[in-house]
Amino acid sequence: MAQLFTPAATTLFRAAIVLTGLGIVGAGATAYLWARADSTWNVGKPAPQPVPFRHDLHTGQLNIDCRYCHSTVERAADAGMPSAQTCMSCHSQVWVGASVLEPVRSSFALGQPIQWTSVHRLPDYAYFHHAAHVTKGVACETCHGRVDQMPKTVKAQTLSMGWCLDCHRDPAPNLRPREAVFAMGYEPHGDELPEDIRAFYREASRRLTSCNTCHR
Amino acid sequence: MSSDAHAATSRVADVPLSPHFGWAWWLAILASGGLVALLGYTLLSVTIVGVGVWGVNIPYVWGFDLINYAWWIGIANGASLFAATLVLRRHDLRTAVNRFAEGVALFAVICAGIFPIIHLGRPWLFYWTFPYPATFQVWPQFRSTLTWDFWAISTHVIVTSLLWYVGLIPDLATLRDRAKRPMVQRIYGVFALGWRGSVRHWAYHQRAYRLVAILVLPLILIMQSTVAFEFAVTLVPDWHETRQPLHFVATGLAQGLSIVLLVAVLLRWGLRLGRYIDEGDIDLLGKLVLASALVSGYLYIDEIAAALLSGGLTQEATFTRMTGDYAGLYWTAIVYSVLIPQLFWFRSARLSTVGGVFVGVSIGVGIWFDRFSIIVGGLQTDYLPSIGRSYSPTLSETGLFLGTVGLFTALLLLFVRFLPVISMFETRHDEHEEKSS
Repeated sequence: MAQLFTPAATTLFRAAIVLTGLGIVGAGATAYLWARADSTWNVGKPAPQPVPFRHDLHTGQLNIDCRYCHSTVERAADAGMPSAQTCMSCHSQVWVGASVLEPVRSSFALGQPIQWTSVHRLPDYAYFHHAAHVTKGVACETCHGRVDQMPKTVKAQTLSMGWCLDCHRDPAPNLRPREAVFAMGYEPHGDELPEDIRAFYREASRRLTSCNTCHR
Repeated sequence: MSSDAHAATSRVADVPLSPHFGWAWWLAILASGGLVALLGYTLLSVTIVGVGVWGVNIPYVWGFDLINYAWWIGIANGASLFAATLVLRRHDLRTAVNRFAEGVALFAVICAGIFPIIHLGRPWLFYWTFPYPATFQVWPQFRSTLTWDFWAISTHVIVTSLLWYVGLIPDLATLRDRAKRPMVQRIYGVFALGWRGSVRHWAYHQRAYRLVAILVLPLILIMQSTVAFEFAVTLVPDWHETRQPLHFVATGLAQGLSIVLLVAVLLRWGLRLGRYIDEGDIDLLGKLVLASALVSGYLYIDEIAAALLSGGLTQEATFTRMTGDYAGLYWTAIVYSVLIPQLFWFRSARLSTVGGVFVGVSIGVGIWFDRFSIIVGGLQTDYLPSIGRSYSPTLSETGLFLGTVGLFTALLLLFVRFLPVISMFETRHDEHEEKSS
């Protein structure tokens, strides 16, 4: 009987086995890297907005406080988006005729909210409370990055669950004194956090990482 | 290969190599194919609509899904344990039954694996039970039975398929050598992994086969205990019992043996393999089935004794299972899995095809009722009067169960069609030894 397979076929078969193994490892590695890539989480990717609002101009140059527009950030789960009235308190005086502000003026006239596109949308099974964070010393900058340098608003962090947990497991290094919560480009000076607070959060990390803290 | 050895197993090799297989096979594969389609439909409906299409509700959170899971895994474990023991003991019976016993184990574990995945509610996230480096940085709950299921079933599939495939390699090579058409030769050739039958090959093969068989033994005990512990770790009085693992392992063995007997009898009759599965083999299998049924009987007595010795809630729950709304399930289980197999005290019953099919099916049915009784009966009494409802499977659950029966049958039919159902190399080995002695 003639040989069924040539020696080359045997080599091919062995190579296929090795390549399949490598392929599985490679696929795993690719999935690992992809799941952690910024692009997967839309980090740094601006969303199309009805008005080309510039945080760098309003916060960075004009130094308007975050809370002027996001007024409920210290009191509610939602930071709050400014109504057209808030915008018009300045824009009835400056850039009055600018065509890019047309949606703001019509929103003001019609009493309809502006349809902003959310950049930091969490899934609805994740419960996030802005005030709980801000009043405990988590700064805007910690999660939203240097908003004062953003011509277009983008995500600075992945907002993945792992990223949340990084802080919930050990919050102390990310906490700031009250006066620095709304500051941008803040540099911590040594160990400013008092020992009792750090001790408190060492205890609290157990509670902060329990499922129903965020999934209620 | 001597012409003697060729003749000894040619009937077995002829089966997968024959170009035609008769209308009965086609009819059977069509019927089971229909059931597989039903399985697909029910799986799809559960995935799209959700587990609300099932009859499960508080307190019966586990219904057909767990009943059938426990049932299939019992068959898989019983058959695996039986096959592995035969390999390790080098028992004569292994030539006759090992190949399809391993096959039965593999197909049953495939059927079993469907249920824990589909009962998750969000089956597409089943991989969350695997500890991989997820971006949400949380490990699976290692105290959860779901995680145990993942490890148990995946290990079971790997080890069982290894046992089956390692045993198949020399026979695949035989089929490769016997096949007439080049395409068929090539297909069997690839799966034979270049087997040439050299002494070195045989030495390695024996070592590998026995090594995998040794792996099966602890696996099966752990696996069946895992299933039992899934019940035992709950607080349900009737489940929270140390005797559960023993009950599951022993009744699982009876169930595995009975399905092996059923398949053996059917193959012997259908493929006229009387020469390979001879009267002695069937007789021995029958005796084993009878013995395992007696062990099941002992366990039922033990259950009553354990209940009498306990007291309080446990006792109440166990007796409710025997006398309450679901008492029918419990007594059916005893009749089918313990009493009917007593027919096998008669040699004529052990040797008859009808007797084998009857008792084989009966134990399978009996243990199914036993699992039903344990899972549903254990939850019967609750503290809140508002949840005094009862459990009955919906059409979707029944369809799912029938679908897995169809899948099992379909896999078995394909196996019978394309692979040697008897271990040819073991048969040759044994016949050679008999001649030389």
